[in-house]
Amino acid sequence: MTKRPNLIYLDYAASTPVDERVAEAMTALMTADGNYANPSSTHAAGRRSVEHIAHAADQLAELLNTDATRLIWTSGATESDNLAILGSAYYRQKRGRHLITMRTEHKAVTDAFSALERQGFEVTWLDPEFNGILDIGKLEDAMRDDTQLVSIMHVNNETGAVQDIRNIGAACRKRDVLFHVDAAQSVGKLPIDLESWCVDLMSMTAHKVYGPKGIGALYIADRPGVHIEPLLFGGGQQRKLRPGTLPAQQIVAFGMAAEVARSRMNDDLEHLKAMRDRFWSGVCDLPGIMLNGDIGNSFPGILNVSIEDIEGESLLLSLEPFCVATGSACNSKSQEPSYVLRALGRSDELAQSAIRFSFGRPTQVEEVDFAIERYRSAIEKLRQIAPERAT
Amino acid sequence: MSSDPYSARVRELFDAPVHAGCLDNASGTQIEDQGVRLRLTAELTGSDIRALRFQVWGCPHVIAAAEMFCESYEGRAASDLLEFSASDLMQSLSVPVEKTGRILVIEDAVRSLGSVVRGAFNQDD
Repeated sequence: MTKRPNLIYLDYAASTPVDERVAEAMTALMTADGNYANPSSTHAAGRRSVEHIAHAADQLAELLNTDATRLIWTSGATESDNLAILGSAYYRQKRGRHLITMRTEHKAVTDAFSALERQGFEVTWLDPEFNGILDIGKLEDAMRDDTQLVSIMHVNNETGAVQDIRNIGAACRKRDVLFHVDAAQSVGKLPIDLESWCVDLMSMTAHKVYGPKGIGALYIADRPGVHIEPLLFGGGQQRKLRPGTLPAQQIVAFGMAAEVARSRMNDDLEHLKAMRDRFWSGVCDLPGIMLNGDIGNSFPGILNVSIEDIEGESLLLSLEPFCVATGSACNSKSQEPSYVLRALGRSDELAQSAIRFSFGRPTQVEEVDFAIERYRSAIEKLRQIAPERAT
Repeated sequence: MSSDPYSARVRELFDAPVHAGCLDNASGTQIEDQGVRLRLTAELTGSDIRALRFQVWGCPHVIAAAEMFCESYEGRAASDLLEFSASDLMQSLSVPVEKTGRILVIEDAVRSLGSVVRGAFNQDD
């Protein structure tokens, strides 16, 4: 008999639970007998906080194969994206005001570019191929002499599509164009090698990788021409690029989450692939079902499926007690069909029927089997009560 | 304040739409509008509604509203269909205002069913 708890969470692309080791490391710095001092203070306790933060930076840097001095702490990926995009566009605007991104980026990126458009910058919005992947030839064609920045996400938060960051970076470097990567969905989940990749700026967050919410980081490459204007002022911390008291406990937690992720990345990937493949094989025979994306080119933690002639909101309610996403988690209150799926060429109706199942470390086979059973019965019920289309 | 977009009554009607289906050899109407596809069928006993069934493609509020309509109109005079107003459904089910257009599709379909039924009734006379 399948165990049926109140809620079954299959929305790990939206957020993850904090790993117990991470929570332990974090809380150790928060209480009276811990290292709670302000790291900007020059006394011994403050210096101890600085040491904790330096260790966390080393842990994260090791995960990314880079140097810890290139990391700036932020409140999360949204802030990192804004700081990278606005900050670098402002810094390089005397050289040119042309920028390139994709229509399928996260709102934290597209809204930042839209803000720049309103300020007189020119943005080229690239469409993905049918599978969500960028054609690098189209990116090369879009680059101009005045292009200053390209921003492409590593793993798409809705479809799981994985972009070829190494080769996109190489194309940008050839033209001396800055390259920013939103890696919110990939840090700690897929191998990243900033030492060899031509990435200038990379945004990341802890809460997608079993760390706490409220802490993220921005990688800034150490090479000529790579610099950002700050968006916040006061205090002078972090080379004045992102001032404010550093939340040592959050940073230590991110560092520990990075260390745990590095130590078990292969096991995690194998587990996610097994869960995703099990789910897909259990539903792929349903008439009218289709994958949004390409299973061969996507992160195994995310599976996004649409199905013909099914109303999305009713499907979502029928799937309870499963916690899954329709469209982007950040956009789930919107009645509009997902702009990401529309960019892949899906009709409004198909985009609206899309459900993103995202699997995580705690996902169990029994949960996946129950998800299969519930998805199939929901489709059957909704099809049974729907009338034929009028001819 | 609840963050659940669905009231307990909507959930109850959505989970068990006992009037979902189609009556054979009965009067019926179908409307497609506002992202809703709705078919209603009615069986009469004399001038009263003996049975109602619905088929719908729509959001949970629309499914619940269609079920609630069928539940509350069986046994009533067929002529009541022509006077049907969706405002009671909107209130009883706490339908969000942005879904008003979808619920009004039910009103259109019920009144259309009323006209069909009246036509059938007049023919029998």
